Amino acid sequence: MFESSPQLLFILGSIVFVSGVLLHLAKKNYLAVRIYILQSLAIGGLLLVSLLSDFSGLLLTAVVCTVIVKGLVAPYFFFKLIKKNQLQFSASTYLNTPVTLLFVALIVVLVRMIFVKSLQSFVGIDANLLLLALSTIFVSVFVLINRKGALSQILGVLSLENSIVSFALFAGLEQSPALQFGITFDILIWVMIASVFVTMIYKQFGTLDVTSMKNLTE
Amino acid sequence: MISIFAWIIQILLIPVFSPLFVGVTRKIKAKFQNRQGASIFQPYRDLWKLFHKDEVVSHDASWIFRFSPYIILALTVMVGGSIPLISLATKNNLLGDFLVLIYILAVGTFFLALSGMDTGGGFGGFGSSREMTVAALTEGGLICSLLTLVIASHTTNLFGMVNFGLGLPLQYLPAILLAFFSFCISLLAETARFPFDNPATHLELTMIHEAMILEHSGKGLAMMEWAAANKFLIFLSLAANLFFPFGIAVNLSLSSLLVATVVLVVKILLLCFGVAILESFTAKFRFFRLPDLLFTSFVISAIAIGLIF
Amino acid sequence: MINFLFTSFGLLSSLGLFVVGAVSALLFNKHDKLSNWLGNLSAIFGSLFALIFSGNILISKVPQTVVLISNSQLFNTTLRVDLLSAFFIFVVSLLGLLCSIYGLSYVKHYYSKYNLGVLGFFYNLFIASMILVVSASNMLSFLIVWEIMSLASYFLVIYEHRDEENIKAGFLYFIMTHIGTAFIILSFLLLYRETSSLDFEIIKNNLTNSSSLIQSIIFISALVGFGTKAGIIPFHIWLPKAHPAAPSHVSALMSGVMIKTGIYMLVRIAFDVLPTTPLWWGVLVLVAGAVSSLLGVLYALSEHDFKRLLAYHSIENIGIILLGMGSSLIFLSLGMKSLAVLGLLAALYHTINHAVFKALLFLGAGAVISKTHTRNIEDYGGLIKYMPRTAFFFLIGSMAISALPPFNGFASEWLTFQSMFGGVASLGSLTKLLFILAIGALAFTSGLAVMCFVKVFGATFLARPRSSHVKEASEVSILMQFSMAALSLIALTLGLLAGWLSNIFSGIAISLRNLNNFVPDISSTIQSINLNGTAAMSMPTVFVLMIVVTAVIGILIYIVSGKQKVTHNITWDCGTNLTPRMEITATGFSRSVITIFKGILRPTQQTGVEYRDANLRYFPKSSSIHFELKDIYSIFFYKPVQELFLRVSEKTKKIQSGNINFYIMYIFLVLIGLLLIFVM
Repeated sequence: MFESSPQLLFILGSIVFVSGVLLHLAKKNYLAVRIYILQSLAIGGLLLVSLLSDFSGLLLTAVVCTVIVKGLVAPYFFFKLIKKNQLQFSASTYLNTPVTLLFVALIVVLVRMIFVKSLQSFVGIDANLLLLALSTIFVSVFVLINRKGALSQILGVLSLENSIVSFALFAGLEQSPALQFGITFDILIWVMIASVFVTMIYKQFGTLDVTSMKNLTE
Repeated sequence: MISIFAWIIQILLIPVFSPLFVGVTRKIKAKFQNRQGASIFQPYRDLWKLFHKDEVVSHDASWIFRFSPYIILALTVMVGGSIPLISLATKNNLLGDFLVLIYILAVGTFFLALSGMDTGGGFGGFGSSREMTVAALTEGGLICSLLTLVIASHTTNLFGMVNFGLGLPLQYLPAILLAFFSFCISLLAETARFPFDNPATHLELTMIHEAMILEHSGKGLAMMEWAAANKFLIFLSLAANLFFPFGIAVNLSLSSLLVATVVLVVKILLLCFGVAILESFTAKFRFFRLPDLLFTSFVISAIAIGLIF
Repeated sequence: MINFLFTSFGLLSSLGLFVVGAVSALLFNKHDKLSNWLGNLSAIFGSLFALIFSGNILISKVPQTVVLISNSQLFNTTLRVDLLSAFFIFVVSLLGLLCSIYGLSYVKHYYSKYNLGVLGFFYNLFIASMILVVSASNMLSFLIVWEIMSLASYFLVIYEHRDEENIKAGFLYFIMTHIGTAFIILSFLLLYRETSSLDFEIIKNNLTNSSSLIQSIIFISALVGFGTKAGIIPFHIWLPKAHPAAPSHVSALMSGVMIKTGIYMLVRIAFDVLPTTPLWWGVLVLVAGAVSSLLGVLYALSEHDFKRLLAYHSIENIGIILLGMGSSLIFLSLGMKSLAVLGLLAALYHTINHAVFKALLFLGAGAVISKTHTRNIEDYGGLIKYMPRTAFFFLIGSMAISALPPFNGFASEWLTFQSMFGGVASLGSLTKLLFILAIGALAFTSGLAVMCFVKVFGATFLARPRSSHVKEASEVSILMQFSMAALSLIALTLGLLAGWLSNIFSGIAISLRNLNNFVPDISSTIQSINLNGTAAMSMPTVFVLMIVVTAVIGILIYIVSGKQKVTHNITWDCGTNLTPRMEITATGFSRSVITIFKGILRPTQQTGVEYRDANLRYFPKSSSIHFELKDIYSIFFYKPVQELFLRVSEKTKKIQSGNINFYIMYIFLVLIGLLLIFVM
C-alpha cells in the first residue's frame, strides 16, 4: 500500500518521532503545545497518504475531523488554559537536557534490540518505519515519566496516542473510519475534562508541579 | 441349670459382698491405728439402718436428685455382673468390652456430679467440680492401662484378656506389672480412696465424693454408699483378675468354682490390705498435686505399651 | 408418590421448593407471619423430599446422577449423588427438616424487629446450597455453590445487625472463609493443571502420573482451605464468634452440617480423588485432630457464653472426626485396608452423630436464651423447674455429646477408639507412640467433655436461680419441643442401631475409590457390632439392661423401704440464709481444670479494690476480679503472622510515594523488563 511513497512516509514518521523528542526539551508550555500541533499535522498527513490507495469518503471526513480536533480544538483549549492560569515556567523535567537525550538514545537502541527480530516477520513493510513508530511510543511514555508539569503529561499521553496511530498505519492495519471517529471523539472529551481538572488542581495547589502535590489532606 | 445358677451368683456377687470388703478395709485401718474398730459386718448394719430411715429432700432438688441413686446403683450392679469374677463360663460378648464398662461407670459419675449440684448447696457444688476434674484426668490412665492388656491379648473383651493371662505370658510380665501399677492409681482415683480422697472425712477442704452425697439421706444415701462400695469391689476384682488371673475357673465344675472363689477372696483381701496400708501411712495429697499423679499413670501405661513388641 | 421422589426428580423438586421458599419469603417480607410460614414450610418440605431421596440411595446403594443444565464443559451443572454425597445430603436434610420446624416458632420473636423475608430468603438459600455443595460434580460449579453457601451464612450471621458484636463476628467469618476459599482455589487450580479437566470423575482417573510434590501441595492446600470451614485449630477463630451470633436454628445448622461440608470434601479429596496417600498426610490429620479436640474442649470449659461454649464443642468433635480420618489415612498408606475402612466408618458415623446432638443442644440453648434473654450461663439456674421438658431434652443431648451409653456419641467414639487400638497393635514404634498419644488425647477429651456438660447442665438447669432473668422463663412452644424431642429420639436410635448403621457406613467407605470393593472385617447385626475376633459391643443390650436393672432395683428398694416417708425441706444452709451465691458458679466449676492446664491456657487474673476511705485503706467498699484466658493459637500463630505482615507492609509502603511520575516509571520499567525477557 505504501510502496508508492516510502520516502514521504519516512519523512512524516520522523517528524512524529522528532516532535516526540522535542516534547522532552521544550521549556515553555506554548512551545510544547505548538510541537504537539506539528505532530498532529504529521499524523494527519500520514492518514491522508494512506487514503491515496484506499479512498473512501467516510475515511476522508474522519481524517479531516481528526486533524481539526487534534490540530485546532485541543491546542485552543490548551492555550486558553495556559493563559488563564499563567502557566509559564512549570514545564521542567527531572533529568537535565543532556541526560534526557542520552536516555532517549538508550530507548531507541533498546527498542531496536528487542524488536528487530520479530519485526522481520511483517511482510512487505519496512522494518525501519515500524521501529521508528515503536521508538516514538516509548519516548512518549518517557515524557510522562520525565516531565513534572501536569500539562506536559497530558501532552505526553496525546503524543503516545499519535505514535500508536502511526504504528498501526505502518503495520498496515485497517484504517476504519469508525476507529478514527472514536479516537477523535475520545480526544475531544478527554481534553475538555482534562482542562477542567487542571484548572481545579491549579486552584487548589497554586502550581501544576506534581512534586509539590504530595499532601491531599488539606 | 448350673449355668443359670452361675449367672445368678455372678450378678449377686458384687452387690452382696461389697459392704463386706469395705468393712474389712476399715477394720485393717483401725488395727493400724491401734483400735479395735467396728465389726467387718458393720456396713451391712449401716445400710439396713439407712433403708429404714425417712428421707429429707431439698426444695431446690429436681427429679435428677431423686432418681440418681437408683440409676447409679443399677449401673454398678450391671457392671458387676459383666466382669470376670470366678468363672470364665459367664463370658459375655455383649457387655464384656472394657470401654463399654468404663463408660457405663462414667454415666454413673455423670449423674452423681449432677445430683451433687442439684441441691444448690456449697459442698455439693465444689464436690462435683473436684470429682469431675479427677474423673476427667483419670480416663486417660485408666483406658491406657487396660490398653496394655488389650494389645497383648489382641482383644478388648475382658474375658478374652483373662484367658490370655491364664496362658502365663512371661515375656509380657514387665509390661503387665507397669500396667498394674498404673491401674492401681486409677483405682484409687475412681473409688475415692487415698491419696485422692478421704472416704471418712466431712471437712470441706478434703472431701470429694462425700461432698456430692452430703445432701442425700435415708434410702438415697444407702444406695449411694452401696454403689460406692460396689465400685470399690469391681475395681479390686478387675485388678485381681485381669492382671493376675491364675486361679479363675474355666468351666463350671464345682471344685474349680470353689477354688476360684477362695483364690479371688485371697487376692482381694491382699489388695484391701494394700489400700488400708496406703491409707494409714500416707497423707491425702493436696488437690493440685493429683493431676501430676494421674498424668504419671498415663505415662507409665504408655511406657508399658511400648514394652510390648 | 414416594417412588417419584426416589428418582432424580426428588432432588430437583426439593431444590425447587427451596427456591420457591426463598423468593416467596422475600416477596412477602412485609407480612411477618406469612413470610415466616412460607419460608419455613418450603424448607420443611424441601428437606423432607431430599431426605427421602438420599435415604433411598443409601439403602439401595445405587448412585444417581441428576442433570440440571448440561452444556459445555465449562458450565456443566450435573449433580452426582454417590453414596458419600447421599449420606451428607441425608444429614443436611434431616437437620434442615427439624431446625425448620423449630424455626417456625422460634422466629416469632423477630416479628416487627427484623425483616423476616430476608431471613427466609437466606435460610432457604443456605440449605439448598449445602445440598448442592455435597453433590457438585464439577470444580467450577462447586466453587460457585460454595461461595453462595458462605455468603448466605454470612448474611444469616449478621442477621441481628443492630448488635455491634454480630457485625464484627460476621466480618471475621467473611474474611476467614475467603482465605479458606483461596486455598481451595489453589488446590483446584493444581488439579486442573494436572488433568486439564474440571470434572471430578475425570480427574479421579487421570492423576496417576503427577508428581508426589504436586499431590502433596494439593492435599495441604485442601486441608487448610476445607479445614478453615470445618474449624480445625488454628483456622477456627471465626467459629466461636460466628456461631453464637446467628439465630439459634441457623447456628444449629451451621454447627451441625455446614462445617461437615468441609469434612465431606476432605474425604472426597483424600480418599476418592488423589490416588496415593503417603504416611505423613495421615499423621498430619491425626495430629490436627488430637490438638483440635483437646484445645477445643479446654476452651469450652472456660467459656460461660452458652452458645460460644457449644461452638467450641463443635471444634472438639471435628477433632474427633479427624482422629478417625487420620488413622484411616495412615492405615491406607500402610496397606491395612480393613482398619482403614474402620477408621473412615468411625469418622462418618461421628459426623451424623455430632450433627444430631449438636443440633439438639443448640435448639435447647435457643429455647433457654429466647425465654431468659441472656446468653450468660452465670445468670441461669433452676431452669429445670420452669422448663422441664427442655431440660430433659438438653440432658439427653449432654449425655450424647459426652459419649455416654446408650446414646449415639458413645457408639462412634467406641469405633474411633477401636480403629486407633488397631493402630497401636500393628505398627512400628514411632507411629505406635503417635497412636498412644492420640488415644490419650481422645480419652482426656471425652473425660473433659463430660465435665463440661456437667457444668453446663448443672449451672443452667439445677439448683436455685442465680438471677431474675430465670423467673420470667417458661416452657417453649410445642413445635420447638417437638423438634428437640425428635432429635433426642434420633440420638437414641442412632445409638441403638449402631450395628446396622456400621454396615451402611462400611458400604459408603468402600464405595470410595481408594478403598474400593474391599470387604472389611466387620460383621454387624442389629444387635451388635462385631469386629471379627477383637471386639464386640451391643448397644441395644446396654440400653435394655439399664432400664431393666434400674426398674428391678427400684422395685426391690420399694419393697425394702417403701414404708419410709419423704419430707421436703431446705438445703443445708449452715445457719445463714440461702442465697444464689452459695451455689457453685460455672466459672468456679472449671477453675480447677484451668489452673491445671495453665501452661496451655495462660489464664490471667486481675483484682481491683475500692476502699471506703482511700487514705486508711482498711475497709473495702467493693472489689472486683477479672479473669481472662489468652488464646494460645493467637499467640503462636496469628500474632507472628500479623507482625510479619505489618513489617513487610511498612517496608513496601515506600514505593507508594504519591508521585505520578514514579508510578508511570514503574509501569515503564516493568514493560521493558518483560519485553526483554520474553521477546529476546
